[in-house]
Order: sequence, then structure tokens, then C-alpha cells
Amino acid sequence: MSKKHLRQRAKEIAGEYGYLSYMIERYLSLWGEDDTLRFIEACVRPIRTAIRVNTLKTTIGSLVSRLESKNVTLERIPWLEEGFWADFGTGSPGALFEHMLGYYYVQGVPSMTASSVLDPQEGEVVVDMAAAPGGKTTHIAQLMNNSGTVIAIDSDRKRIASLESNIQRCGVANSLVVRGDSRKLSHMGSTPDRIMLDAPCSGEGLIPLEPSRKTSRSMADVRFCATKEDELLEAAVNALAQGGTMVYSTCSIAPEENEYVVDGVLQRHPEMRVVEIPLEFGSPGYVEPYGVGLDSSLSMARRFLPHLHGTEGFFICKLMKEEESA
Amino acid sequence: MTADLMDPNDWADVTNQIDGEFGDGTTKALLGGQAPIIIQRGESNTIYLIPMDWIGRIEEYEGYNIRSMGVQMGDLSKGRFRFSLQILPALAKITDRVLVVSQKGAETFTYGRSIIKESVVRLGSAMKKGQRVLVLNERLECLGLAALSIDGDRLGRLAKEKLVAKNLVDIGAYVRGA
Repeated sequence: MSKKHLRQRAKEIAGEYGYLSYMIERYLSLWGEDDTLRFIEACVRPIRTAIRVNTLKTTIGSLVSRLESKNVTLERIPWLEEGFWADFGTGSPGALFEHMLGYYYVQGVPSMTASSVLDPQEGEVVVDMAAAPGGKTTHIAQLMNNSGTVIAIDSDRKRIASLESNIQRCGVANSLVVRGDSRKLSHMGSTPDRIMLDAPCSGEGLIPLEPSRKTSRSMADVRFCATKEDELLEAAVNALAQGGTMVYSTCSIAPEENEYVVDGVLQRHPEMRVVEIPLEFGSPGYVEPYGVGLDSSLSMARRFLPHLHGTEGFFICKLMKEEESA
Repeated sequence: MTADLMDPNDWADVTNQIDGEFGDGTTKALLGGQAPIIIQRGESNTIYLIPMDWIGRIEEYEGYNIRSMGVQMGDLSKGRFRFSLQILPALAKITDRVLVVSQKGAETFTYGRSIIKESVVRLGSAMKKGQRVLVLNERLECLGLAALSIDGDRLGRLAKEKLVAKNLVDIGAYVRGA
């Protein structure tokens, strides 16, 4: 398809489905017309509610039995031991006692997958660089069995209140919550063994949850987010311990905020490499989006896409910092 | 906001208040092997319990505003200590100062309401008016804290709609955003 023809077709599709034209143009370039239309169709279907069992407070078997006795239908998420799709019928997932008691956390499947990919270990120092409202922080604490330290950073006072509430509800005892700019992470005395950077982004993957996103952000917004994501990732790389592991994720489907950002870091930091994710989910990261050749190891990153996986759009990349040779 | 080790005199006051209501040794049992620290929030001070090996690291977080560390134990304001919701499940494991409520009572309590006679499943007869008690459901899960409006030995004489305990804090606050 010629550039002119692609632009014309993008304009027609954008007009018909209420998107901004630049978005459809990019989708056509990435996926072609059939998948673009499938994506648009998937974005009007509701995303299934999912919960994560909080094993700091209960066991999987006990919670499953309690929720099923309340007519909640649960289906195990194959790659997440503590994750379930949950149908609460007409009830609200947050209104049950079991939720107030901190026995489960209502969380998107990609978000709980990101913490599992990070795979934090007991006794480690782990930093969550954009922690509020606390889904990943509480999950990381759970995976560490409340040992070691989870340093949760966020800059927004109101969102930190939600983070602290979730930490308390979930019985997290190993967290340290600080307010500030994560880009100054290397000034902190700690050298984290692992870092979770679920970066603030344009939210282009959230169209199924927020239809207004079809028209609310321009290409300049995407570029602005990409710049900030690049700064955050740079800070993470500089602070991470040698031999340490990190996860970079966003709820954007834009390669500009994902593969491009990681590719930039790989070029600047030869000590960093993308590593295999040992869980089966999603589809591979892009190594040649819009015809731009990127580091081939980016195929080990994973993407969630509404039309392929029935979730919100999401990007997850696991990176490791090589130890300096003596 | 900064974090500091707790003043021993303030800690002694907190210990007296807790042990006075929930029994001698309660504060020590809650503390376990942890250290109490204070984070100032405006007029009040919030007490957190942190692992001993975190003490030396408080100063590592320069440039950041420390909001919380470890387990939130409660607030100390004008000499009066108030438990936080987070510590209550631990307290429930070590005290018998509890009020057990029915399913219906548990539901109304977690909507922020107080407890009436018909909701009470169990209350110790030795408990006194004004005393703080943990409110548990019939599975013995901690739902919050209440202040008794009657002496425990008067429960049997109350009409079913009469107030037994006033809600001080409950886990519904997590979803109400209080």
C-alpha cells in the first residue's frame, strides 16, 4: 500500500470508528488492514475482570472455595499461579468481605504478569519506580513473602494515599513508600537487586477500558511520554545492581514507547541485555516496527494485544545488567 | 516528612495505653523483634514497626519524602494513641478483648455502622463500658475496632435494637476511601 493510499484509508477507518487518523495510520503500518479492524472490534468488547489471590493473607484453595460459594465464577490464568479471571455477576468485585480483608486484589492480567516476570526473590531489595496505586508493589511483596525490602516510589500525593491503603489492606510489611522523582533513583543509597518500571505512558493500550483514549492523545503526547520513559529507564539502568534484573512495562501499544525506548538503552548500555521470559503468554515484541530495524533481542519482549489476547494492550520486557568482569 | 526512631517516653505512653486496655505484654507481643519509628504527618505522628536491620538505612533515602515504612501501628496525637487498621489482625491473635458479631452485624459494621445487641454472637462478661474491643466475624476474622457502650455483664438485659459498641474504625474504610 502506498503512503498516500495508506493515509487515505486510515482517514476513512478513523472517521468510521471515531479514532484519530494518526493512530490508524500506525496500526495499518504495523498490522495491515485485517488486524487493524480486528483490533478496533476487540476494543469495544469488555475486558474480563481478573483477581490475584493475596497469599500473604490467605491460600488459593481457601479463597477459591469462599468466592465460589458466593457464586463468583473463577477460571485460572494458565501462566499465573495466583491469578484468576473472575465473573462477579452483577456484584462489584470490591464489595465482598474477602476483598476488604485483603484476600484478593482486582488487577489486570498484564499487570500481574509483569510482577511475575520480574520474579522477585525473598530477602532482595526491589524498587517499584511508579508504584501507585500498588497492584505491583503488593504483588512483589507477596512473591517475596514479606521479606527483604520493596521500595515503592511515586510522585503523586493522592495516588500515594491509594498505594498506602492497598499496602495495609494486603498486609504488606516489607514496603518502604517514598514520594519523589524516580529519575533520581541513583541518588538513593540502595542498590536494588530488581527494579519494576511500569512507566507512566500514553495509555494507548487502554482503549478497551477508556474509549475516550481513541481521541484524547496526539502523536506529540506519545513522543512526550517516550522521552519521559527513556529518562526513567536510564535512571533504572544506572541504579540497578550488577547482575540485577528489571522489568520495563507500559500499558501502551506504541512501539515508540516500548521497543524504541528499550532499543535506545541497549545501544547506550552494552552491559544491558534483554532476557527470555520463562512464562507462556502474549506475542513477541517487534524488531522491525514501521520498517525500522531494532535490536533483534527485542523479540524476547512480550506484547498483550486486545484482538489477540483479550486483554488491554501492554508491553513487558525483562532486562538484565551484566556483572563487570574483573 | 522524615522518619525517626521513637522517643522512649512516647513509646512508654503508647505501651501503657495499649496494655491498659488489651492486657499486660500486648505491646511487647505486637512489637515482636521490630523497632518502632515515627513519621510526622502534620499535627499527628504515625508509628510504624520496622525490622531492626532497617534502622541504619533510614538516612539512605535522601532526596525522597518517606511516607511509610513496614507495618503501620497507629497514630499518636496529643498523647492519645489510635490503632491503625493494618495492625488489628495481629492484635486479634494475642488478645481476648473481642466482640464476635453475626453475618448481618459484620455487614452493617463494615458500612461504618455501630453494633446493636441482635448482632452480638459473643462478648466477654468482664468487659467494661468505654473499653476498646476488636470486632470479629464468626470466622474470627478481624473487621475493626469498637468502643463498648455497655458493661459486658449487662448484655443479656438489653433489648435487641440497643447499642452495644460504637464503630471506631472498620475494614470497609479500605473501599470507602476513608
